[in-house]
Amino acid sequence: MAIQDDIKSAIAEVLPGLSCVIGWGAGPEPLRAAPLFMRDAADVEKFTAGFLAVNNPALFLPALKGAKVGLVVKGCDARSVGQLVAENLVKREEVHLIGYPCRGIIDMDKTAAALEGRCEPGEVKGLREEDGDIVLDTPGGEVRLAKTDVAADKCARCRYPNAESADVFVGEKIAPVVERDDYADLAAFENMELDARKAFWEMEMSRCIRCYACRNSCPLCVCRDHCVAASREPHWLTQADGVRDKLFFQLIHATHLAGRCTGCGECERACPVGIPLLTLKRAFSRQVEGLFGYTAGLDQGMPPLLTFKLEEPAIKEREW
Amino acid sequence: MRIGVFICHCGSNIAGTVDCASVASVASTYPDVAYATDIMYACAEPGQDAIIAAIKEHRLTGVVVASCTPRMHEPTFRKTVERAGLNRYMFEMANIREHVSWIGKDMEANTNKASELVRMAVSKLRLNRELKPKSFPVTKRLLVVGGGVAGIQAALDAADAGLEVLMVEKQPTIGGKMAKLDKTFPTVDCSSCILGPRMVDVAQHPNITLYAYSEVESISGYVGNFDVKIRKKAAYVDWSKCTGCGLCTEKCPSKKSYDRFNEGVGPTTAIIIPFPQAIPKKASIEREYCRQFNTGKCGVCAKVCPTGAINYEMQDEFIDAKVGGIVAATGYDLMDWTVYQEYGGGRYPDVVTSLQYERMLSASGPTGGHIKRPSDGEEPKDVVFIQCVGSRDVSIGRPYCSGFCCMYTAKQAILTKDHIPDSHSYVFYMDIRSPGKGYDEFTRRVQEEYQARYIRGRVSMVYPKGKKLIVRGADTLMGTQVEVEADLVVLAVGAEAAKGAPHLAEKLRISYDSYGFFMEGHPKLRPVETNTAGVFLAGACQGLKDIPSSVAQGSAAAAKALALLSRDMLDSDPQIAAVNVNRCVGCRKCIEVCPFKAIQEIDLRGQPKAEVIETVCQGCGLCNATCPQGAIQLSHFTDNQLLAEVEALCRF
Amino acid sequence: MSVLKEKELRVIGFLCNWCSYGGADTAGVGRFAQPTDLRIVRVPCSGRINPLFVLKALLGGADGVLVSGCHPRDCHYAEGNFYARRRLEVLKGFLPVLGIDPRRFEYTWVSASEGQRWQHVVTTFTANIHALGPASFSPEARELQILNAAAR
Repeated sequence: MAIQDDIKSAIAEVLPGLSCVIGWGAGPEPLRAAPLFMRDAADVEKFTAGFLAVNNPALFLPALKGAKVGLVVKGCDARSVGQLVAENLVKREEVHLIGYPCRGIIDMDKTAAALEGRCEPGEVKGLREEDGDIVLDTPGGEVRLAKTDVAADKCARCRYPNAESADVFVGEKIAPVVERDDYADLAAFENMELDARKAFWEMEMSRCIRCYACRNSCPLCVCRDHCVAASREPHWLTQADGVRDKLFFQLIHATHLAGRCTGCGECERACPVGIPLLTLKRAFSRQVEGLFGYTAGLDQGMPPLLTFKLEEPAIKEREW
Repeated sequence: MRIGVFICHCGSNIAGTVDCASVASVASTYPDVAYATDIMYACAEPGQDAIIAAIKEHRLTGVVVASCTPRMHEPTFRKTVERAGLNRYMFEMANIREHVSWIGKDMEANTNKASELVRMAVSKLRLNRELKPKSFPVTKRLLVVGGGVAGIQAALDAADAGLEVLMVEKQPTIGGKMAKLDKTFPTVDCSSCILGPRMVDVAQHPNITLYAYSEVESISGYVGNFDVKIRKKAAYVDWSKCTGCGLCTEKCPSKKSYDRFNEGVGPTTAIIIPFPQAIPKKASIEREYCRQFNTGKCGVCAKVCPTGAINYEMQDEFIDAKVGGIVAATGYDLMDWTVYQEYGGGRYPDVVTSLQYERMLSASGPTGGHIKRPSDGEEPKDVVFIQCVGSRDVSIGRPYCSGFCCMYTAKQAILTKDHIPDSHSYVFYMDIRSPGKGYDEFTRRVQEEYQARYIRGRVSMVYPKGKKLIVRGADTLMGTQVEVEADLVVLAVGAEAAKGAPHLAEKLRISYDSYGFFMEGHPKLRPVETNTAGVFLAGACQGLKDIPSSVAQGSAAAAKALALLSRDMLDSDPQIAAVNVNRCVGCRKCIEVCPFKAIQEIDLRGQPKAEVIETVCQGCGLCNATCPQGAIQLSHFTDNQLLAEVEALCRF
Repeated sequence: MSVLKEKELRVIGFLCNWCSYGGADTAGVGRFAQPTDLRIVRVPCSGRINPLFVLKALLGGADGVLVSGCHPRDCHYAEGNFYARRRLEVLKGFLPVLGIDPRRFEYTWVSASEGQRWQHVVTTFTANIHALGPASFSPEARELQILNAAAR
C-alpha cells in the first residue's frame, strides 16, 4: 500500500528527533492491530495503517509528558490530542503529529456478526481493502463485506477524517463523510419512552463487570491511578456489585468528560460486554455544543464547564 | 464518636408544631448518638449550660442542636461546645424552625421532617474533623463609600478612634442629601449649620483622606485585606491648584446647565462649585454643558483662572488602596415620580418635588430662600402638599413606606408659613406616621399653630386652570370630594436606593433587595453588618431612615469596623479548600476556576501539584466541584460530608 | 427513614448559604407556608454543587432535586453561580438520556430577601413533583425486588 510506505518514510524522517513514534502494528490476531511504539528503523518496518488502525494513540500522551513524542493520527485521534493541548494537559510542542486521510476503521462486533455461521473473527487469516469493500481471507474462502457494514459507528458520522492539526500530512486529504453531526443515533435512542430508557440502562449496566476498561482506554481520563472510583476519600462509589454503583460510575465518567469528550469511542470499543457507553457521553456533547458552541478537540481554550460568561444567551432559565 | 443531640422547643416556636420529645427519641437511635434530649431554649444560658453538662457527663465528642437557622445561632453554639472543651467544628445544626415549624402546621409531617433533618446533621457530623484557624495580619484602614451624613459620621468616629479612613464620594462635594435640606425636623434647625462643621471636620481630619468626585471601580480581597481601586473622575480642574475662588463659575458663558445640587431649580454654569459650603470647595466642569468640549471654542474659565488650574485634557485617574474594612453609606435617591400622570407626569412647572422645595426654602439656594413659582416667579399663597407619591403604592411596585416624608412635609408646611405668613398649606395624607422623639407633637403643631389643613385622602388629579393648579382629591374622613386651587404643588416623592447601589453591592459581594437596599446580616441583631465579613452598612442604603437614625447607624458601623480593625491579627476561617497531594494529578482545573486566585501550582518532587493559599481561599468550594478526582476538598463541606447528607435522605 | 406515605415525596434541595438558604430562612421568618416534602442540604455556594450530587440523589430515590443559588452577578464568591448555571443546565439536558424526566430537576436563583419567591419556588416545584409522581428509577430497588421474589 503506497500510503503506508509514505507514512513510514515520514516516521523515519522525524524519528531521530523524538523519543518514540506511536502508531499501529500487528496484534494478537490478523484482524486486530495493536499500538506500536517505534524507536528505531526496525520498529518502523512493523508499522501498519488502514482499516485496522483502531486504537487512539493519544491515550499514551499524558504519561509521556516531558519527552517529545511522535504520533500517527487519524482525524479523531488528532481531536483527542487537540483537547489535551487545549486543557494544558499536554504541551503541543512536545507532540509531533503525522496525519493521513483515514477511510474508516473496523468494528469487531459488527465483523463478528457478519461472519456469523462462517467462522470466528480469530480464524480470519488476512484482510485487504478492495473498491471500498473489505475482503477477508477465511478458512472457508474469501468473504467480501461492505465496508460500511463493518466500520465503526463513529466513521459513519466522521467530520474530520484528515487530522487538520497534523505537523506532517501524508497523502491527499479526503472529504468528510458528513458535514455535521446530527446526533441521529441519540434521536433514535430517544424514540424510546423515558421508562424504556431507564430499563435499557438497568439492563445494560447489569452486565457491567467493573473492569474499568472504558476508563483506561479514554485518552481524556487523566486521573488514571487517582480515579474516584478507587477512593474512599472522597467515597463516591462503594464496591457493591449493584447496578446503581455501576451506572453511577458511568455518570462520573460522562460528567468528567462533559465538554471534553471528542467522541473517539474508545470507551465503548474497549467494553468487553458491549455496553453502549458512548451514548451517555454524546448526550453531554450534544448539550455542550448546542449551548456553548464548543466542539471538543477542535476549539481552543478551556472546555465550557471550566469557564463562564456573564450573559448566557443560549441558556433559557425557567421562569417561576 | 459520641454524639449528643439537643432538640430545642424554642418556647412554642418549634414545639407548637413539632413533637420535640419524639424527635429526640428517634434521634437516639441514629448511629453514634450517645445522648438525645429535648430542651426548652437551647440558646439561653440554662440551655447552653445543659449542653455543656451533657458533653461532660456523657463524654460527647460531637453535638447536634436542632433549633433555628445556623445563620442565626451557629456561632453561639460553636462557642458553647468550645467552652466544654470540644473543637468548635464538631458541631452541626438542624434548622427545624425557619425550615420546619414556621412554614407548616402538620405536626406529623413536621415531626418526621425534623427527625430527618437531625439525621442529616448527625450523618454529616460523623465525618466532621477538628479544624483550627490560622491568623493573618490586618490592614488598619477603613473605606467609607458615600459622604452623606451617615458616611461622615462613620468616617469621623473611626478617624477619631485613630483609624485611617478613605472616603469616596461620587459627587464633587460631600454632604449628601442632608446638605440640600434647608431645615431639619422636628427642631427646625438649620441643616447646613449642623452638617457644615462636620463636613469641615472630614476635610481637616488628619486620619481622613477624601476622594470626592470619585467612585469605587473594583474591590477584591477579603476581610482584613481588601484591595480597592478608586476611579477619580476627571473634573477638568486640577484640584491641587484650585482655590475655590469661584471666578470661573462667575465668568462661564454656558449658563443653562442642569443644576444637580439644586435639583434643577434654576440653571447653573458648566463649571461649578455645587454650593458655598461645599467640601472640598473645588470647581469641576460638567462636560455635557461645556462649550469648550462641545464646540472646541471657549476656554473662558482657563483664561480667568488665577492659578491655571483648568485642564481640558484631564483623564480619569485610578488609585489603588488596601483597606481592612468597608462601610457602605450610599444613601438614597428619589424615585421617578413622573410615572404619576395624574399629577401631570412632569408637564406642569408648578408641581415640584419636596427636594426642589427644600432648595427653594434654602437661603443659599437658587432663589435666595424666596419661595417662587417656577412658572412665573410669583410668590405662591396656596400650597398643596401631596404625600406618599411613590410610597405605599403597590400599583407602581412601591409597597413600602419611605419613612421620613410625613415629617418633612410637616416641616415644609411650617416653613411655608414662616416664609409667607399669609399663605395657606394643604396636606393630602394617607396616615400620619410620626413615631420618634418629639415627632408626633411636631405634626400636631403644624396643624394647630400653623393652621396647615390636613386632608386624609388621595389626590386623584392635578390640572391647570389659568394660572392656578386644581388639586382634586378625596377627604375620606368627611366622605367628600375636595378641590383646592393651588399656586404650587409639592410632591412628597418616595425614596429608593441610590442609583447604582446594586452595582456596588455586586462589587462588595453583598446582597440587596428588589429595591436596591442592601441586606443587613440580621434584621434585628446585625443591623449594620452584612453577610460579607468586613463590610458594614450605614444610613439609608440599608433601608430608608431619617437623619438621627442614619447618624446612629454611622456610629454603629464605625464601632463594628473598629472592633474588627483594632486587632492586629484576624483568625482565618478554616472552612477552606485543602489539597490531598497524593491524589492531585496537577491538571490545573482548580487553578483555572478559582475566583480568588487562591490556588497555585507547586512542584513536588518533579510533579506539578495544586496548593491552596490558605489566607486567600474564601471557601466557596468551586474547586472541589471541579476536581475530577476529588483531590481538593472543602473542609467542613467535603464530598463525603455532603454525600452523607444526601444518603441520609435516599430511599435506597 | 422514609417519606410520609401518601403525603410526601422525596424532594432534596441544595442551597447556597448566602442567598437561597437565607431566602428560605426569610420565608420561615415570614411564616410563608410551604409543602413539607423538601429537605435542604446547605452548601457554601451553588458553585460547590457537583452535578454528581444531583445524580446521586436521583439515583438514590429522590423524586425531585432543586438547586438554588444567588442571582447571577450577586454571588457571594463572585463567580460560583456562573459555573453552576452552566453545569446545571447541561445536567438538566442530560437527564432524559438516562430516562429521568428533566422536570424532576430544577435550578433557580433566590436571594436572601426573597422569602416570597422561595415560597413560590418550593410550592411550585413540589406540586410539579407530585404531578409527576414517585420516581420509578431505582435500579437497586428492582434488584431487591428480584432477590426478594427469589427468596420467596
